[in-house]
Amino acid sequence: MIILEPNNLALQTCLENCFSSVKKEVVDITLVDFDNVLYHVSTPILTEKNLIWVSIKVPCFKELERYKVQEIIQKEYGQYLHPELKVEDDYSVTFQLDLDALPENSDELAKHFSLLKRNIFLAPFVQAFNYFDTKPEQPGEVMNLSYRDGEYLYIQAMEDRITVIFSTRFKDEMDRVFGKVFLQEFVDARRQSLVSNAPQVLYSTKEPPLEIRNFPEQNHGQDFSHITFILFPRHFKDEETKYKTVSQIQLFRNYLHYHIKCSKAYIHSRLRNRVVEFIKVLNRAKPDTSSQAEKKLASGRFFRQQRSSLS
Amino acid sequence: MSQLAPVVIDNGTGYTKMGFAGNTDPQYTIPTVIGLPNKSAKLTSRYGIASKRGIDDLDFYIGDEAIANNKMYSLSYPIRHGQIDNWDHMERFWEQSIFKYLRCEPEDHYFLLTEPPLNAPENREQMAEIFFETFNIPGMYIAVQAVLALAASWTAKKANQTLTGTVIDSGDGVTHIVPVAEGYVLGSSIKNIPIAGKDVTAFVQQLQREHFETSIPPQDSYEIARRVKESYSYTCQDMLSEFSKYDADPSSNIINHTAVDSLTQNTYNIDVGYERFLAPEVFFNPELVSSDFLVPLPHMVDSAIQSSPIDTRRGLYTNIVLSGGSTMFKDFGKRLQRDIKRLVDGRIANNESLNNGAMKAKPIDVNVISHKKQRHAVWFGG
Repeated sequence: MIILEPNNLALQTCLENCFSSVKKEVVDITLVDFDNVLYHVSTPILTEKNLIWVSIKVPCFKELERYKVQEIIQKEYGQYLHPELKVEDDYSVTFQLDLDALPENSDELAKHFSLLKRNIFLAPFVQAFNYFDTKPEQPGEVMNLSYRDGEYLYIQAMEDRITVIFSTRFKDEMDRVFGKVFLQEFVDARRQSLVSNAPQVLYSTKEPPLEIRNFPEQNHGQDFSHITFILFPRHFKDEETKYKTVSQIQLFRNYLHYHIKCSKAYIHSRLRNRVVEFIKVLNRAKPDTSSQAEKKLASGRFFRQQRSSLS
Repeated sequence: MSQLAPVVIDNGTGYTKMGFAGNTDPQYTIPTVIGLPNKSAKLTSRYGIASKRGIDDLDFYIGDEAIANNKMYSLSYPIRHGQIDNWDHMERFWEQSIFKYLRCEPEDHYFLLTEPPLNAPENREQMAEIFFETFNIPGMYIAVQAVLALAASWTAKKANQTLTGTVIDSGDGVTHIVPVAEGYVLGSSIKNIPIAGKDVTAFVQQLQREHFETSIPPQDSYEIARRVKESYSYTCQDMLSEFSKYDADPSSNIINHTAVDSLTQNTYNIDVGYERFLAPEVFFNPELVSSDFLVPLPHMVDSAIQSSPIDTRRGLYTNIVLSGGSTMFKDFGKRLQRDIKRLVDGRIANNESLNNGAMKAKPIDVNVISHKKQRHAVWFGG
């Protein structure tokens, strides 16, 4: 597994189980996703087991609302929204599914819902794409999103490109080193002809890029790493590539952390391997006591090694 | 973030149960198996681990996907007899289970892991080291499986909420009898039985071979035996009368099982007969499968309790908790309860006759508690 999947497998299997179970049981399941996203699948009314609620909690939902996330939810999941637009306590959006009135391909629906987080985070990207499509003369406003505690995402549509900047922070000293090496690799990898079509990636640890320098959160704290992706029109030329690009970019942070962990695991396995080798060497270095035993001749007589009498 | 649910992972020999705390069932129950690409396995044996360059070390599957891809990938089981055997594979197994299956960031969650009874402290240290260093988790707890199983039994109706009891934990690879007093495992009284799910399955497989079920394709026979064991087996009260019952009326007792060949997709039928009640019988009459281990399970339970401190024994007898997939057989608990009861009563009667009725012992009640969360008991307790 090199690239993380955009959909949430746990939510998908959980919904598939709900959809396919003949005997409808009361469900109450809490699931999580990256970036502190929380799902809750539950049966709200114990007497009506055919209704289930799927709620999602996105910490930065307020900011997403600025970028018209409601439109996207309406478009993608409009028919499943809770009829009275009621929202479960502590959650951002609630959907209501009727198990008795499922469409034919219920697995498709489960899959569609498992992309919920991807689609909700799509909002600012859609704004950027739309702005770009108007063929603007000057750069659009910079949209910011604090998708995690103290970590930010900025999107800006320019005349000829869209810039996505991640400001990320590593809690662990070691992770930062790994991350630095890893990100440097991104910059270097572009020199290979195979990936020359990939978006340009810039990376800086010291100074925030010009576009975001005037945001208040950038002025304090030196420990941010900034990763800039530059998307050219070929990266969002049609719907499919658009979705693909956005999915990859959204998961970038998780991808980075996943690979830092994988690298560590890999190093650990090398370490263990080396320890085994060293132990072998040590064992070989032990003086062989058995050779000190007396050596017999065929006739049954034996030598005894003369100890040096000098010492 | 303290508000996010802690992650509970129970790594067993056969299956790994993982999910988030607060839910009733684990989100995933997947085989504890990791599939590594065939070619790199060959390469590493020739050139050592340094030959793995690039992204080879990411190319692997775990769980069901590994089994589905077993033509291209060689399977490896990182846990043997409840103990972690191969740390490299286990670390990668966790890596993928956290990121792909649970989709959570380990930095944000607390983790609860389980360990078998009598786990070496080095193993526990190693486990904590991996989780703290590789995954940067904020905190973790490693619990003994038996204690969690006891906690899970609180959901059963007749159970009282105590942390004293005897846990019979029988998974795929190993069976333990663990007396627990007030949450502490009585290490010296733990009994280990080398018979578990795998052996029962192998026994069913052997029985099928013996009565000429030639329609089973050889590559599926283990799988079929497992399915037969899981779906049709039950515990009988008396083996002899059960045999005669089957002989008298074969048609109503022998079940026809239809299965699909995994290669040719043809369906075929097999008859499931005596193995229905013989499979669980392995625990009560171990001589069926093993020639060197001959003590039946009830006797083992009894001796485990007898070897524990005298003031805890009564509590241990009243609260015998079953956990693990291999105790899921129908009426398993009832049979066990009856056999242990018989042993205990026999001893008391013997004692009384020795001192000529001068002292009357208070009868000890034996309770075997079985409940519906039994299969994932350890996970649920967590």
